[in-house]
Amino acid sequence: MYLKSKITAIAAVLMTTAFPAFADFWSDAGAKYKGVVLHGVTESSPPSVYIKEVLAPQFEAATGIKVEIETTSWDQMYDKAIKDMEAGTGLYDMVYIEQDIIYAYLSRNFLVDMTQTLADKPELKAPTYDDANFTTFANYFKNADGHLFGVPMEAFIKLYLYRKDLFENPDIQAAYKAKTGKDLAPATTHEDYTAIAEFFTEYGKEKGMELWGTTAQAHTGHAASWYEYYESIAPTFGVYNWGIDPANNYAASVANGGRMNSDEAKAAMKYWLHLRDIAPPESAQSTWTETATTFAAGRAAQGLIYGENAAWIASDAEKSKVVGQVGFALPPLADGVMAAAEGGTGYIGYYDGGAFGLPVTSKNQEAALLFLQFIGQNEVQPDWAVAAPRITNSATYDDPKVVAMDATLGGYYTMLKDQGKLFAGAPPYPFHAQVREATAPIFYQILTGAIGPDEGLDAMAAKAEEELTNLGYRQ
Amino acid sequence: MRSNRTGWLMLAPTLAILGTFGILPFIYVVYVAFHRWNPFGASPDMVYNGAKNFRRLVFDAEFLTAIAYTLKFAVFAVGSEVILGYFLAQLLMKNFPGKAFFRTIHTLPLIVAPIVVGSVWRLMTTPSIGIIPHYLNEFFGYDMNMGRDAGTAFLMTVIMDIWHWTPLVTLTLLAALLALPRDPFEQAEIDGANRRQIFWHITLPMIKPAILATVFIRLMDALRTVDEVWMLTGGGPGDATRYVGLHIWKVVFPKTDYGYGSAISIIVLYLTLVMCWILYVALVAPRPKKEVL
Repeated sequence: MYLKSKITAIAAVLMTTAFPAFADFWSDAGAKYKGVVLHGVTESSPPSVYIKEVLAPQFEAATGIKVEIETTSWDQMYDKAIKDMEAGTGLYDMVYIEQDIIYAYLSRNFLVDMTQTLADKPELKAPTYDDANFTTFANYFKNADGHLFGVPMEAFIKLYLYRKDLFENPDIQAAYKAKTGKDLAPATTHEDYTAIAEFFTEYGKEKGMELWGTTAQAHTGHAASWYEYYESIAPTFGVYNWGIDPANNYAASVANGGRMNSDEAKAAMKYWLHLRDIAPPESAQSTWTETATTFAAGRAAQGLIYGENAAWIASDAEKSKVVGQVGFALPPLADGVMAAAEGGTGYIGYYDGGAFGLPVTSKNQEAALLFLQFIGQNEVQPDWAVAAPRITNSATYDDPKVVAMDATLGGYYTMLKDQGKLFAGAPPYPFHAQVREATAPIFYQILTGAIGPDEGLDAMAAKAEEELTNLGYRQ
Repeated sequence: MRSNRTGWLMLAPTLAILGTFGILPFIYVVYVAFHRWNPFGASPDMVYNGAKNFRRLVFDAEFLTAIAYTLKFAVFAVGSEVILGYFLAQLLMKNFPGKAFFRTIHTLPLIVAPIVVGSVWRLMTTPSIGIIPHYLNEFFGYDMNMGRDAGTAFLMTVIMDIWHWTPLVTLTLLAALLALPRDPFEQAEIDGANRRQIFWHITLPMIKPAILATVFIRLMDALRTVDEVWMLTGGGPGDATRYVGLHIWKVVFPKTDYGYGSAISIIVLYLTLVMCWILYVALVAPRPKKEVL
């Protein structure tokens, strides 16, 4: 109770000092909704916890509108949000929308068109809020007319992390050179990445160290492995959008014009399975969280790590053993992939993130719209970016606090700013979870070796087409 | 007449709750089972499709595999729990130093939420951080990796279930044993019956109803297990531990195939009832008496 009132008092002070010019707007706008309690549900992640513990009390202090944010697991969050919106119960006024589910929500008209609503009700428009403040990541939450359906709250790219202390160690460099004839440097090709991974796994074994050459997010029963392959591995071989071609009747198989079982997809799978085999033993049970933990524990020399984890691995000494030793690079690529990414016809990895959206079933839409604008302002971003590394507004990059943080993170924010355009979110499929779940059992069989990668990908392509036909997308 | 009305009035709240939260949802599930309904399909509306969902599951290899694995899991887990639970109950019938402490410790798993049990066992079984792989490697040189070995994953789900639920069986059987009259046992001892004969001919027949009730409860639980296994293995490796409860969850929630998922639920309910009925008939139901000529 004491902590709560302390936070509220701090928030009130921050409000009056940080936004004196606009304090009147929030209190005036909020006066109409005094007594309203907004409810939101989101994944329990550092950016969401910041909303719950800092932004919600600040908003309450400014407007008098109480905000209760429920932070829960990824699965539970979707379960609760979808059930609420599907049944129309109106329990939630804000829901977390991960980038990959926005298309499903839009296809069901689950979300309020924020752009349109603010245009229709200009009295609700905060002077400090502007859609144009967001980075291009916000485009994922817009419809064909450019209308925004969610306020971006976190954005990350999945990067290639490597251990600078190992890569820059002269003895290790010499040993690597002696073994491969090459200089030890972050890999730019799959062949180099494999050679480095093999070298460090062998090196760890020889020296009796708990060290392996790479991480692998290769859980044999969790969607995390499916995502690693389709979002982070296959694109680096030139297989985009899961190998499904929406312009060609949602074809997945090569026979019908898709690429899910193409030679490139099969090469990508074999490459990744080999990496999995020389990764730490826990990899077969690793999701995105465990992969990050493996790297943070100093058990892998390199790996592909989600940005939200990359930040704490690089900077949080309480949780990571490799603070100050983390280097960031772009993922290794096959020929032609970088050119395709720069030309806008391909991408080199996953641009991850999410937004807070307003369900049409909410009973407090106007008050919720105020809160969404509040968390979308430039003014609240720098502290948020420092507390829970994520950037959604362009101006945040230049804030002195964030520039200092970038140095601590080894240039992660700079890479996000400069190279973010080369990465892409999930393809705009309303059937995202459905096709994933239909094909995942076969994918897990490939991982366990019950079925070979070639026939496995053939079966997955056939299964994807069957599911798309059942769902009515493929004619 | 008056007492009838009072009886119904007193029952009314219970019936209302049961009807609202038990019967109506069940009727709705039956209704949905006869429809094609995926809210994220090209056509998100509910469309009547007769018995097609039920026909589909007869040919659904994933569902049939899940059923087979679930039955195997239920037989191993429940069977082990009943045997182990009986021996522990017998142990608790005796006096020994630290009995009260042992009984408390032994009962503790019952109060732990299944999701927590799954999380803890996952931590204990993860290679390189878990104590189980660590000691297996240290003492036996065995590299346990549940993520890659289907047999180990299956075994661990069974062991986890035994750890969690054996105390329930122990307590139930202990109650049954404590309630047994002493006379038949004393009579048998006087007549010179040995321990095995006493067990087969007196103890077992007398506690059979309690065993059967326990088996029913545990069997129904085992057939619908979801959260513990989801946390421990996620259903993997591959589909090795994708038991039918977890299979239904995946079909209904992430895949949002509500119609088909409802059909599977109904069939699983039917299978559970049939299994319980077979058990009842085999073990308890009164048999027709042979006519004495």
